[in-house]
Amino acid sequence: MHAWQGPPCPQILTDTANSVAKTHIKSRTQLPQTDNQGFFGIRLESIGGLGAHVAGQILAQAGVLRMGLNGANFSSYGSEKKGSPVKAYVRFCAAEQEVRTSSPVDRPHLVAVFHEGLVRTEPVLWGLLPEGAIIVNSLRSPSQVWDGLGRPAAKVGAVNALAIAVEESSRVNTVMLGAVARASGFIKPEAVKEVIQATLGERYPQLLASNLRAFDRGFQELALEDFSHAAAAVPQNYARHAPPFGYLDAPLGGAVMNPGNTALKDLSVSRNGFLPAFHRERCVDCALCDLVCPDFCFVWAVERKGDGVEAIRLKGIDYQFCKGCLKCIDACPTLALSTEREEEGYAERHSVPLFPHLQGFSQNGERHHH
Amino acid sequence: MLITERHARQSALPQLTDFKSGNEMAALAANHINFHVMGYYPITPSTEIAEYLDEMFAQGEHQIRMIAADGEHGGAGICYGASTGGGRVFNATSANGFLYALEQFPVQSGTRYPMVMDLVTRSVSGPLDIRGDHSDLYFSLNTGWIVLLARDPQAVYDMNVVAVRLGEHPNVRLPVIVAYDGFFTSHQKRRVSYFPDRQPVQGFLGPFQAQRSTLDPRNPITVGPYMNDPDLINNKYQQKLAMDAALRVLPQVFEQYATLSGRSYPVVDAYRIEDAEAVLVLLNSAAETAKDVADELRKQGKKVGVLSPNVLRPFPADAIREALKHVGAVLIAERADSYGGQGNALTHEVKSALKDDPDNKTLCLSRIYGLGGKDFLYEDAEALFRLALAAASSGKVHIPFDYHGVTPGNSRNGALSPVLPPFTREEMRPGLVSVEKDAASGKVQVRTPPLWKLAVRSRVFAPGHGACPGCGIFPALDQLFKGMEGDIVVLYQTGCAMVVTTGYPFSAHRVTYIHNLFQNGSATLSGLVEMFLERKARGELPEGEDITFVMITGDGGMDIGMGPTIGAALRNHNMVIVEYDNQGYMNTGSQLSYSTPLGHMTSTSHVGQAQGGKTFHHKDTLQIMAACHIPYVFSSVEGYADDLVKKGAKAQWYAKNQGLAFGKVLISCPLNWRAPDESGTDVVQAAVDCNFFPLYEVEEGVTTITYDPATVGRKIPVTQWLGAMGKTRHLTLPEYREPLERFAAEVERRWRRLKAMHDHPDL
Repeated sequence: MHAWQGPPCPQILTDTANSVAKTHIKSRTQLPQTDNQGFFGIRLESIGGLGAHVAGQILAQAGVLRMGLNGANFSSYGSEKKGSPVKAYVRFCAAEQEVRTSSPVDRPHLVAVFHEGLVRTEPVLWGLLPEGAIIVNSLRSPSQVWDGLGRPAAKVGAVNALAIAVEESSRVNTVMLGAVARASGFIKPEAVKEVIQATLGERYPQLLASNLRAFDRGFQELALEDFSHAAAAVPQNYARHAPPFGYLDAPLGGAVMNPGNTALKDLSVSRNGFLPAFHRERCVDCALCDLVCPDFCFVWAVERKGDGVEAIRLKGIDYQFCKGCLKCIDACPTLALSTEREEEGYAERHSVPLFPHLQGFSQNGERHHH
Repeated sequence: MLITERHARQSALPQLTDFKSGNEMAALAANHINFHVMGYYPITPSTEIAEYLDEMFAQGEHQIRMIAADGEHGGAGICYGASTGGGRVFNATSANGFLYALEQFPVQSGTRYPMVMDLVTRSVSGPLDIRGDHSDLYFSLNTGWIVLLARDPQAVYDMNVVAVRLGEHPNVRLPVIVAYDGFFTSHQKRRVSYFPDRQPVQGFLGPFQAQRSTLDPRNPITVGPYMNDPDLINNKYQQKLAMDAALRVLPQVFEQYATLSGRSYPVVDAYRIEDAEAVLVLLNSAAETAKDVADELRKQGKKVGVLSPNVLRPFPADAIREALKHVGAVLIAERADSYGGQGNALTHEVKSALKDDPDNKTLCLSRIYGLGGKDFLYEDAEALFRLALAAASSGKVHIPFDYHGVTPGNSRNGALSPVLPPFTREEMRPGLVSVEKDAASGKVQVRTPPLWKLAVRSRVFAPGHGACPGCGIFPALDQLFKGMEGDIVVLYQTGCAMVVTTGYPFSAHRVTYIHNLFQNGSATLSGLVEMFLERKARGELPEGEDITFVMITGDGGMDIGMGPTIGAALRNHNMVIVEYDNQGYMNTGSQLSYSTPLGHMTSTSHVGQAQGGKTFHHKDTLQIMAACHIPYVFSSVEGYADDLVKKGAKAQWYAKNQGLAFGKVLISCPLNWRAPDESGTDVVQAAVDCNFFPLYEVEEGVTTITYDPATVGRKIPVTQWLGAMGKTRHLTLPEYREPLERFAAEVERRWRRLKAMHDHPDL
C-alpha cells in the first residue's frame, strides 16, 4: 500500500487563528488506548451554545498540530439550534497513520458530558468502551455519577464546570477542556492552552486570562476515580438505533400522520441553569407571559366566577417545554414570575402538565415501563 | 500515470501544515486564486465557503467581489455575466440550490466561459434533507461542465487550483465543478498542507487569458446568438471535443501541479487493485472509508481493492477498463438512485466501459447506499466487499441491483398513534374575534376581546418545537393566528420555522401543513387555493367548508421567492402571506438577506478593516407588495400584540373577501442578533419606536400608520435600538459615524414618505 503521508518537503506548522509559524512538532505522543483501526476516540455531549463544537476543534488542533498526532474532528449537524443536543467528535491516531473514516465516533474511549441534563434525554453512554472514561459537568461525586449512570466505564469523573465558568467569567467549554485533558491521560494541558491562546488571543484578548484559569481549574478540580477494582464496567450498546419508521410502515411521501406529536418531546435540557419560578399568590392572570412565550408552556384553566363570568386562571408552567429563555419574567407586571437557579428536581416537582394524558410516554410515543 | 493512489513526491516549495475542513480549504484556495468575482447564495452545507471568504475580505485578505445573489439562479447569472468579462469567477452551492440554477449551467458551458463552482454535495429535496449524498451531483453530468471530485479537505484545495488551470486551457475552455461530500468533507477537519501565500498558485495559473471578453468595446462580439439546426449540433460537437481534450489535458495538469505541490493525483484512484478479485467503486469520502476496510480484509487474505475516479466528466472510461481488467467482480456503490434505472449513471458507465473490452469477464453489482447523509461505516463497506467477493468466487450475480442499509420498520412504534386530537370546527372558531365592513364608513372593523381571553383558545402549534430559547417567531405567529377564526391550512417555506417544527417523524403543527422550498411557496399555495375553490364549486367538499390559506416565510424566502410572491399578488389569490423578518438567513447560520439593514453584521457581511457590515440598505418588501395593488398590506411586531392580533384578523378577512393579504412581522433572533434570550420583545419594540420598522397598513391602497411612537412620547433614536444588539453595536462607535448617519437618514426618509402617504389617501 502507498499510504499518503504528506509531502516530503519543508514543513511549517501554523495556527489557524493567528498564523504564527512553529518550526516543528515538539514531541510524539503515545496514545494510551486505541481501537482496531488505531484510533483513540472522544465524544463531547452537549447542547448548542455551550461551546462543545469549538472545544472539539481546540482539542483536535492541540493533538494534531502540537502533540505529534494525526486526527480528525467534526460535530453532529442537523438543524441543531441553540439549546438542542449536539455532539462533537475527535479522533486521534499516530502521526504516520492516515485518517480515512468520516463517520461519528461510536466506540469512544472518553465521553465528556457538558450538561448533566443530557444524561436523562440523550444516549450519552452509547458505545462507551468498558475500559474507557466518562466525565460529567456535575455537582455530584464521581461515585454518585458512576452509580447514577449504571456503572458504565472504568473511570468516572465529575467537575462543577458551571460554577467554575461563572466564577471565572469563562464558558463551560474551557472548564470541560481542562477536565477532558486530565481524564484522557495523554492530552498535554500546555498544548491545549497554546491553542486556546491562539484561538482567543487575537480576537478576544480580554477573555484569554479568565479562560486559561478556567481551563486550569477544570484540569485540577476534576474529581476522577478508577472503579475498575470495584466492579466490571457494564458494556454499552453500540448498535445503531433503528429509526421509528421504516420502508414497510412509513407513510408514503414522508407525511406525518399525527401532527402535534412534538407534545411528546422533553425540551428541558435546553435550559442552561435557570428557569422561571411561578408565584401563584402574585398572579393576576393577565396572560402577558403567555403572549411572549416562544414555547407555549403556560397551563391555563377556564373558571366561572360567582357572577357567572368566565375567567382564566394560570395553573403553572409545564417545564417539559420550557427552554429557560426567561422572556416571561420581563413581561410579568406583578412579579409573579422570577428567575431562579435550577436546582435538581425543582422542575419535576413544580411542573404542571399541559397534556396529562401524555404523561408517562417517551419521546417516540412508547409508554414508559417502570 | 493514470491509475494509482494519490501519492507524495518532492516539492521545491515550503508548505504549511494545518488542521482544516473542506470548506475552509475551498475558501483558502479561492483566496489564493483570488477570483475576480464570486456570485453565490447561501445553502447548507456550502455556505461556509462564502462566509470564510467574506471574513477574509473584511480583513482585506483578498479582492474577490462577493455578490450575495437573490437566489442560486441569480447567483449563476451573476457568475455567467462576470465570466464573459474576461476574469476569474467562482460559485459554491449544494442540492436544490444547484438544481434551481441548473438551466444556467448549459448556458455557461455551451457559450464556453470557464469558471469554477464548488458543489458541496447534499441530498436533493423532498422531503428536505440537509445532509450529504450525491443526488445533486448526478444532475451535473449532463450540464457540459467538467466535474472533478475531491475526496478529502486536502483534495478540495488542490482540485480547486487544478480546476482553474484545466478549465482555462486553450483546448478546453469549459467551466469546472469541484464536488466534495457535504459534512463528511465540508465540515470535517483534517491535517492538511498548503502554500503559505498565494504566489505559488498565482504563478501556476498565470493571468487569465480572455479569448473573447465582453468588456472590449473596440472588438465587439455577440455572445449567445439564436442558433437552431443545422448549427447547434456543431456547437455541441465542439463541446464534445473540448471534453476529449480535457481528458488528455487533465493528467498533464495533475503532473504540473504535483511538481509544484508535491501532491500527485491520478485520474482514477486505485487502491490495492493489482491482484484484486473483488473491487468496490465508490465516489469521494466513502472510498476512503472502504480503503481502511480493504486493509483489514487483506489481512484476512481477501484480495480486495477500491477504485474511485477523481474526475466524472469527462468520464475516464479507458482508465477504469484498464484498472478492472482482471477483476472478478466489481460492486459499484452509489449515493443516489436513478429511480427505475437499475443503478445510477456510475453503474452504467462502468459497465459500458467494461463492455468495450470484448475479453472482459468482470461481474458487476450495483448498490445504493448512504442516502440523505446516512453514515457509511466500516461494516457497510465490509458488507459490500463480501457481496462482491461472493460474486467473484461463485461466478454469479444473484441480485444485480439493490439498496444497502434500509430499515423495514416496526409498526408497533408509538409514534404511529394519535397524540393530540384534531381540533373540531368549533374549537377553531371560538367566536372571540369578529371582523365587519362598516357600511357607513366603508372601513373594515375588527373587534378583539381583552388579550387574556385569547390565552385559552385553540393554538395551531403544539409545544415541543426545537427553536432556540427566546425565538421570536412563535409568539409572533401565535398572535397572528389568534386573530383568525375558522379552519386554517398553512404552508411554510423553508426556514427556521419550518425546520424546528417538522423534524421527522415529529410535527408541531396541529392544523394541516405543507412545506415547499422557499422560492416557490406562494405559487404552491396559489395552486391549493384554486383547487379548493374548484372542488368546492364541483360540490366535492363538505357543505360549509371554509378554509383560510396562510403562507409563512422568512425574509430570506422573500428574496429568493419574491418573483412567485409577486405573481401570486398580481393574480390576487385568496390567501395570506406573512413574512417573519429576522433580518437574515438564520436557518443557515445568519447570512445577510436583502432585509438586513445597512451596516449590520452577519456571517456574509463581516465587520473588519476593509468592510463595515452590510453594504446596502434593507429591502422595503411591504412597499413592493403594496405596489402590486393587493387589498391588504401590513406590518407588525410581537411587542405590540394588540396590533398584531387585529392585523391577523383583517388579513384573514381580506383574504376571504378580496384577495391577497401580505404582512411583514419583525421578530427577534437572540442568537444571531447577539442579544440576550429574554430581550426579544424589547428589541423589536425599540425597532418600532425608532421608526426603523413602522407599524402600518395599506387597505385597498390607503395607507394608515397604526402606531406613531412620537405621539405617545416613545420615539427613540436609532442608536438606542442598534445599541441593544451585538450585531450592530459597532455602529454606535465613532469610527462608524458615516454609515450610521446614512442609515439614520434612510430610516428618516422612509418614515417621512410613509407619513405623507398616511396623510394623503391618494399616495
